[in-house]
Amino acid sequence: MGIKLSGLIYTLILFPLFGAVVIFLMPKKRFELFQPLAIFLSIIPFSVCLYLFSNENSKGSYQQFDSINWISSYGIKISLGFSGMSHLLLSLTSILVLLSFLSVTENYSKSKGFIGSILVLHFAVNGVFLSGDLLSLFIFFEAILIPMYFLMGIWGGDNRRYATIKFIIYTVFGSIFIFIGTVYTGVISYSQTGTLALDYVTLSNLNFTSQQSKALFLLFTFGFLVKVPLFPLHTWLPDAHVEAPTAGSILLAGVLLKVGAFGILRVSIPFFTEGFLEYRDIIAILSVIGIIYGAVVAIAQIDIKKLIAYSSISHMGFVMLGISSGNLLSLEGAIIQMVNHGLTSGALFMLVGFVYERRHTRRISDFGGLKITMPKYAAIFLFTSFASIGLPGLNGFVGEFMILMGSFGTYKLLSAISAFGVVLAAIYMLWAYQRMFTGEINNEENENLHDLDTRELVSVIPLLVLMLFIGVYPSFIESYVLNDAQIITNVVELFSGGLN
Amino acid sequence: MDYFQQRVPSSYFSEKILLDEFSLFGNVLLGLVLLLNFYPIWNSSFELKDKTTEAIILTLMSTAGFMLMVDSENFMMLFIGLEIGSISLYALAGINKGSLLSNEASLKYFLLGSLASCVLVYGISLMYVSLSITGVYETTIAISFIGIENIPLTTLVGILLLIIGLLFKVAAAPFQSWAPDVYQGSPTGYVGFMAATAKVASFVVLARLCIVSLGLVMDKFELFFSAIIILSILIGSLFATVQTDMKRLIAYSGVIQSGFILSGITSGVNGTSASLFYLAAYIVQLIGIFLIFSVITGELSSDFSMENLSGLFIENKYLSICFSIFMLGLAGLPLTSGFVSKFILITNLWSYEKYILVFALMLSTVAGFYFYLKPIWIAAIDKPENSVPPIQLKLNDKISVGVLAGLTITLGLFPNILINISRWVVQNYL
Repeated sequence: MGIKLSGLIYTLILFPLFGAVVIFLMPKKRFELFQPLAIFLSIIPFSVCLYLFSNENSKGSYQQFDSINWISSYGIKISLGFSGMSHLLLSLTSILVLLSFLSVTENYSKSKGFIGSILVLHFAVNGVFLSGDLLSLFIFFEAILIPMYFLMGIWGGDNRRYATIKFIIYTVFGSIFIFIGTVYTGVISYSQTGTLALDYVTLSNLNFTSQQSKALFLLFTFGFLVKVPLFPLHTWLPDAHVEAPTAGSILLAGVLLKVGAFGILRVSIPFFTEGFLEYRDIIAILSVIGIIYGAVVAIAQIDIKKLIAYSSISHMGFVMLGISSGNLLSLEGAIIQMVNHGLTSGALFMLVGFVYERRHTRRISDFGGLKITMPKYAAIFLFTSFASIGLPGLNGFVGEFMILMGSFGTYKLLSAISAFGVVLAAIYMLWAYQRMFTGEINNEENENLHDLDTRELVSVIPLLVLMLFIGVYPSFIESYVLNDAQIITNVVELFSGGLN
Repeated sequence: MDYFQQRVPSSYFSEKILLDEFSLFGNVLLGLVLLLNFYPIWNSSFELKDKTTEAIILTLMSTAGFMLMVDSENFMMLFIGLEIGSISLYALAGINKGSLLSNEASLKYFLLGSLASCVLVYGISLMYVSLSITGVYETTIAISFIGIENIPLTTLVGILLLIIGLLFKVAAAPFQSWAPDVYQGSPTGYVGFMAATAKVASFVVLARLCIVSLGLVMDKFELFFSAIIILSILIGSLFATVQTDMKRLIAYSGVIQSGFILSGITSGVNGTSASLFYLAAYIVQLIGIFLIFSVITGELSSDFSMENLSGLFIENKYLSICFSIFMLGLAGLPLTSGFVSKFILITNLWSYEKYILVFALMLSTVAGFYFYLKPIWIAAIDKPENSVPPIQLKLNDKISVGVLAGLTITLGLFPNILINISRWVVQNYL
């Protein structure tokens, strides 16, 4: 092997930041170069991710790669680590960033700030997925806010001020609990090891008392659940999704919602398992409420973007149900569903963006009969809707089926109730499709719409290919999540056996 | 550093002046504050009619006074230093004689400041009357000699009054009421200097007092300090959210930051070192923000509302990026020095088991994101309604703002050096 793995990992983190600097240093007059350059800059992390698929480590369980002294007198280090789950989510991020650069229109591609913000966002998200200690996880987790603030604030919709402040305040409120949890863990680590070491390898060797474990689980999980978002903490999400520009929505739904679930899988459950066993029932109940609530509210929406936003709450509820069930099948399903939801909701937001560019409206009732003027668009939208509903043969089915199968072993009633979420998904997606695409053209503004052009097709079709690929050959993606899910399952079984 | 390690603490003028790590730290910070502010003040002083030399002399005088204050071992010397520094600041606040706001600020600052000085002197005299204490080290000796249980109430009241006098200077609640008015009324180019010098000197003196003199009796003051900290955070956060005047907002943010710094200083040696780091990081951001304000509206004008910021991004990208960095640093976002200082401080507080303070401080951080991001929104995101007045950015301002913004980021990424310095300051008391 010629290329060292740690070098690739540094590339994944630092290259987007380098790209952002390059974009900011470009002369303003050469705006036609921004988009090609951005696409080129995001191809490199993408190809690193592709290359990593050939590497054996990318299937493995968590492995720490590098550790840098940060504050030496307190013994604080910044560590980097990597596992199969991180690899999948990194690949998802890089493909969504690449495709959202392809899909942006001239209004945005002329702006340095827009492209630079997305690259900074890419940097921060990659940092979260590659973080090897609690402090760097928190730093990158918070750093996501800076580009999102500007993306939503400058290029958002009419009500962007309210949505942005709400998004920031919710996230910061959640993250102070992560911060306090980090501090608490640091103090415990100091009392046991003599340094403020917070990397995951040290954490796995620490002994937490039952009380500490419960408190820390609550602190960390609360912070992450705001980001997921779990049912009562979700209210920032519809506003943020609707007001964000298309590329912002794609990354928000596709990647940022995964950050919370990733944190729970990487930190909360493995290290604070006793707390997890104590509070998993509450999380499971709330996630089932979220599944049904999100779906029912989605049915009633008149704005297609808001409908997809509420469907995200429902789908992320499935992820949280799978996580809280805590057995191998449901955990695998949850990680796969995270990737699936990234692909489908990313594609749906992109598709909504395409039609919004043409009509500057997102009200479902403004459309009707789009199938006649935009046949390719209608076909792609239907395909993506099926993937979102969970039609067998497409990716949504794999994840949701595994989650429901797995969680039936732990929570029989809850998983039976949540199965209705799939039915409700069919109702809201297909009804929306029916109202937007079928029938006669009622609104004469829709008569002269042109179908998707090559650029738009190129930017959405890779996602459809991936949906189909995961749907018909799920064991490929399953082999990348197996080790992570296995380790969490082992820990959960160890502790639940010990308690009995 | 080795050079000083052999010599400190050494005293001069029959033990009235003391050169220890605290005074070195304070003097260096005060010198930096003077260095960064001197040229703008020098430059703007020529615009003042017939007062060309006064502003410069007052600036140098106040720095000298506050340097004397941080160097003082003897409480009377402390008082003299404080008065030399403060009286110069009262005059500086009113240096723009034509402006009504400036005069008002000066008078308010003078009246309330002299009241605080009276309280401070009364505290010193009570300490002398009860136990014949006149200095920092004498207090330690006297307390350990007489025993903690036998300390007369008069002495405790004296110490309390001395501390209150210093808390007034750092604008900790409930002694904060002068700060917003004085910040608002004083000429913009001078506020950064005025706020920074008084804060540096008073906090360094407070830190030395708490660690060296009161180490044994800090328990008796714990409730008092906790109340001050919680009040500062509460009042600062509540009032900062509703401000439309930027200088008042920074004043209330200063009240919150004083709460943060105090929480470390009053909780032990490690906490103090974290607080000193916090102080240095905060001073950098404070001076940077006021430099930017004075570039936008001119050094001598007093008004600076949020509308003055609108369109800053279009008019001058460099200034608006630096401004955003300072505000994010105050909010405590990671990758800036504000995050590192908050992290170290909170870690130390948690290890001292001050959970209520930790939660209060963290909640104020959430509120902080609301009012620190609002000016960024106006400066960088909102489209300006009116035409934006042109900004002339002089080279020296460009360099100092850039250096300060760079420091904010550098201290956030590589905090090691300053943390080691702040630990070196307290190392003898560990």
